Order: sequence, then structure tokens, then C-alpha cells
Amino acid sequence: MTAAPASADAIRLDSLRKQFGSTTVLHDIHLRAARGRFVVLLGPSGCGKSTLLRVIAGLERADGGRVVLDGRDVAELPPAARGLSMVFQSYALFPHLDVAENIVFGLRARRVAAAEREARLARAASLLGLEKLLKRRPSQLSGGQQQRVALARAIVAEAPICLMDEPLSNLDAKLRGEMRREIRALQQRLGLTMVYVTHDQAEAMSMADQVVLMRDGHIEQDATPAEIYARPASAFVASFIGTPPMSLLPLVAHAGGAGIAGLPDHLLAPASAAGALLGIRPEEVVPAEDGLPACVTAAEFLGAETVLACALGSGGALLQARIPGHHALPPGSPVRLRLPPLAHLFDANSGKRLPLPPFA
Amino acid sequence: MRTSFASRLGLTLETAAAWLLALLWAAPVLYAVWAAFHPTGYATRFELTAPLTLQNFVSAWDAAPFGRYFLNTVLLVCFVTGGQFVLCTLAAFVFARSRSRWMSALFAIVLVQLMVMPDMLIVENYRTMRALGLVDTVFGIGLPYLASAFGIFLLRQTFLQIPAELEEAARLEGCGPWAILWRLYVPLAKPTYLAYGLTSVAYHWNNFLWPLVVTNSVNTRPLTVGLAVFASTDQGIDWAIISAATLLTAAPLLLGFLLFQRQFVQSFMRAGIK
Ligand SMILES: Nc1ncnc2c1ncn2[C@@H]1O[C@H](COP(=O)(O)OP(=O)(O)OP(=O)(O)O)[C@@H](O)[C@H]1O
Ligand SMILES: [Mg+2]
Repeated sequence: MTAAPASADAIRLDSLRKQFGSTTVLHDIHLRAARGRFVVLLGPSGCGKSTLLRVIAGLERADGGRVVLDGRDVAELPPAARGLSMVFQSYALFPHLDVAENIVFGLRARRVAAAEREARLARAASLLGLEKLLKRRPSQLSGGQQQRVALARAIVAEAPICLMDEPLSNLDAKLRGEMRREIRALQQRLGLTMVYVTHDQAEAMSMADQVVLMRDGHIEQDATPAEIYARPASAFVASFIGTPPMSLLPLVAHAGGAGIAGLPDHLLAPASAAGALLGIRPEEVVPAEDGLPACVTAAEFLGAETVLACALGSGGALLQARIPGHHALPPGSPVRLRLPPLAHLFDANSGKRLPLPPFA
Repeated sequence: MRTSFASRLGLTLETAAAWLLALLWAAPVLYAVWAAFHPTGYATRFELTAPLTLQNFVSAWDAAPFGRYFLNTVLLVCFVTGGQFVLCTLAAFVFARSRSRWMSALFAIVLVQLMVMPDMLIVENYRTMRALGLVDTVFGIGLPYLASAFGIFLLRQTFLQIPAELEEAARLEGCGPWAILWRLYVPLAKPTYLAYGLTSVAYHWNNFLWPLVVTNSVNTRPLTVGLAVFASTDQGIDWAIISAATLLTAAPLLLGFLLFQRQFVQSFMRAGIK
């Protein structure tokens, strides 16, 4: 095979397919990640994130398509020759080795000279603040410390690509926030191309350069966090991103336009939008005297804000509203809410994003 | 009231039974110690004032080539246990990690060995050893025991408990199958090796019938056979000297077990053998 032309992509996946027995877990995955990017694979449990990561790592064989890393097709390369390191969800630290030996395990296996090994160990340990823990066994470390050891083992290999499978899911909320920043900073300092799996959309939005949202083995959307928030490509993406995520309201035809069933006086979109789903960001809903009449079904106090779940009209449409301040409204209270201008429309059947219709 | 009385009675009975069993088990050993450390005349007379002596040990050691027997037994035990470690490790690794659909059938066949009494095979084993020209060699005593189904089974169970992610991590770090076995599986199975090694050493140190059949010279006989030959013919029935010889042959094993008692019990607990 001739050397592939130098490309800026550290990772390229072409129509990648993976099946276990008769169930297809990955369908036709296309993905490009530029060098030095922080890519987050996001999606609900069971959508194939781990499988995709393992195919890239070479721990599973693809059943079709190509994995190209740094311009090389790696189909025939074993995991160790692909120029990547990986952090497992369970950390996969070797229980019989102390922290130092865990970190240099790969260097020993690759027969890196002792002096070089020591130098790299010292660098990795100081980068992650592990100097005092080098003689401990993994079982004598806290979750956060184990996480750091796993990170150190990954970076000491100095591989250009680093894969992480839900590395923070075992940590408490505070530590998770800290580790997020540390990982992000480390990735930028070392210029790593990172593929990071999570099912926590807040984690994805805060860390990523590029969010790849998956569902049932497909990529639903591959975009920057800002883009995925501003223009979700499908109703599924819309209902996955945001705290709380976008509300989806079915539109029906009324005289002179489209609106919520049972509220013919409040037109929300041109008539051509009838039958589609209207997407509303909860943070853009404001209480107003002239707003839509709604009925509170639940109120959730978050501190600075209150999330109200409200029933709208007669069709059982559910709208969430995130409103500053504390509003202890009992279920059944009437409220009036003003919706933002029309911005997101989705096809009710396929879930695809629809272009906004011009106002007639 | 009543329940506590019943449970106390139960406890007392249990304790008494434990003591009784312990005494029954210890009686021959205690008798051997008595006989070995006193002059011959006191073998059947128990007097607290009887004089102590080490003469019986000296006589026993001089009366038969126990030094050679010791060497043979040590060689045998090292060879068997070492060989078992190597073979069982390799077989268990394959049985634990191969995804071939034949594996469970093959493993079942290996397990059949557990149901065959080793003594049943003595004649057949003897024929095989003679065909191989290995009769009356230490190698020949050990060879039939090298592929131990018990060892394969134990190690396979241990290997199966090692998380697949550890192996995958090792693969990513550049380990091939041999390195994975050597740097991951073997060190993680250390308690199993210790427990299995100790049972194997004890078994082959004490094994009698097969070595008796397959050896017929001083240069190959292990301690057990040497002791039997010594006790039956050379010595008449001098219980004091026989006891001394018996203690001599069992001493290293007893000492080892007393020293390693705690690790032994712990590793058995961890390896899940009772
Ligand atoms: N070895 C396997 N054999 C058969 N099916 C598998 C195997 N591994 C994964 N699957 C299936 O593939 C699908 C995707 O699994 P995967 O582990 O990639 O999901 P995930 O997105 O990582 O989920 P989670 O967030 O829960 O970790 C699941 O439906 C799972 O049941
Ligand atoms: Mg997963």
C-alpha cells in the first residue's frame, strides 16, 4: 500500500460497520476528527459508543468500512501498533503492581530503556500530582487517584491519540467537575487528539470541540457544541441536549396558521408547519400576562432557577420552562407563558429538522 | 433461656467432638514422637521419668540411605510441581480465554480425569513407563502426574475471574499473548499457585503405591518407599527406630506447613478450595 497523502485528520472512519451475531451495533459510521481535537461521543446507553471506541482501538474487528488513523488504514494493525492509548471506564489498573509499575507497564512491554522510562514516569507523575503515591497499590487509592493513575498510564505512552470510555462515571459530582477541567487542560497542553465517551450531555458540551451524538448505532449529529445547541439536526438531538432539553410541541392547523391543539387564538407558525413538531428551549420561555395559558404539573427548584413542567392546550402537549427565581407553584396552578419566536421545527415522523417556513 | 442452653450444649458438643477428632488424628504422631526420643525399651512403657535420647535418629539415618531418599523425593516433588505449573498454566490459559466452540467439550474431557482414581491406572501406567524405558527413574515416577486436571481446573477458574479489561489494557500497552500470560495472569493467580503447589507437594511427598511399583533401586526410591523397605526388612520391628525414621521423613513437610500455615489457609480460602 502506498503512503496515504498527509491529511489533517487524526481519525477518519469510513462507512464503518460492526455487528455482533445478527444484531448490527454500528451502521455506516462516517467520522472525521482533526488533529488536536477533543471529540466527545455522546448518546444514550446501548447506542454503541463503547463499541465504536473499541473498534477504533482495535479491540474489536470492524465488519465493514475503514479506520484511518493519521492517514494509515489500521485494519491489519494490532491495538498496540495503532499509536493510541486508552482509559477504560473501570480504569483497568493492574492490582498486583504499584502505581509506578502501572504507569510504566507499557514502556516495559515495549522495552523502553530504563533511564528514559524513569524520566517519562517522573514527568507523567508530576503532571498528574502522583509523586507521593507511586509506591501504593491501586486498592489503596481513592477513585479520583485511580483515575489519575489511569490517565498517567495513557499519557506516558505519548501516543498522539487518546481514547477514553466514560472515565468519570464512578466519581462524585465535585471531583467530576475537577477532573473534567484537568483532562481538558492536559489534552490541550499535550496536543492530543481525544475521543471521549460519555452519556452526560453537560460533560460533552463543556469539554468538546466536536460532539458526535449517537443513537442506535447511527450518528445523529456531528457538530460543535454551539452548533448542536443552536441547530439540533433532529428531534432526538433536541430532546437530548440542554438542561432540561428542548420541549417538543405538536402543531395542528388553526384558522390562519398553526398552533397547539386547543389554543386556536395563539398562532405559533405559518399554516404549512401544521403536523410538525415545534422545538422550544425551556430557558427561552418567559412568564407574561399576554402569554399562552398553561397549567403547572410539576415544579422543580434548582437554586437560581425553577423548572416548571406545564400542560398546554387540549392535546396533552408538555412544555418545560426554566424561570429565574423560586416559584413554589402547586400542581394545577394556572400560568401564562410567552414562547420565543419560531426557531426549531422537526418532522413528526422522521424527526428530521425542517427548514423554517416563510411567513405567508 | 432454653435456646441459649441448647445453643451452649451444641457448642460444647462441637468443641468436644473437635478435640476428640484432633486427639485421634494426633495420637499416632504423638506416639511416634514418644517412641523416637526414648530408648527402645520405653516404646511400650510410658513413664514420665524415661530418659531422652537422639540415638534412634542416628541409628535410623545410618541404617538406610535416607540422604539419597531425601534427594530423590525433593527432585521428584520439584519436577512434578514445576511440570504441573507449566502444563496447567498453559492449558488453563487456553481453556479460560479461547473462544472456540470446542473448548467446553474438551474441558469436560479433561475433567473426567478427576473421576478416575489414580491407583486404578497403576498397571497401565507401568506398561507405559516400561515402553518408554522410564521404569526406575525419578522422571518415570513423576511423569504420569504432570497433566493434572485438578490444577487445570483450579487455574482456569482463577483466570476466568480476571477482568477482560485488564487483558485489553495489556494488549493496548503492547503485550502479546505470552507477555499477557506472564505479566498478568500468572502474578494475579499467585494465591492459587501457592495453594495448589502445597497440596501437590504434600501429595507427592507422601505418595507411596505408585513409586513403590515403579522403582526398585536406592538411586530412585523416594522417602516413603525407602521408609517402608527399611521398616519391613532391614530393621526387624524396632518401633523406636522406625518412629525416628518416620519423623525424619515427615519433618520437612511438617515444618513447612507449620511455617506457612497462615498463608496456606488464606490462599485456600481465596482460591475457593475447601
Ligand atoms: N460482545 C458483545 N456481544 C453482543 N452484543 C454486544 C457486545 N458488546 C456490546 N453489545 C451490544 O451492542 C450495543 C452497543 O453496546 P455499547 O457497549 O457500545 O453501548 P454504549 O453506548 O457504550 O452503552 P453504555 O453507555 O451503557 O456504555 C448494545 O446493545 C450491546 O448489547
Ligand atoms: Mg459503554
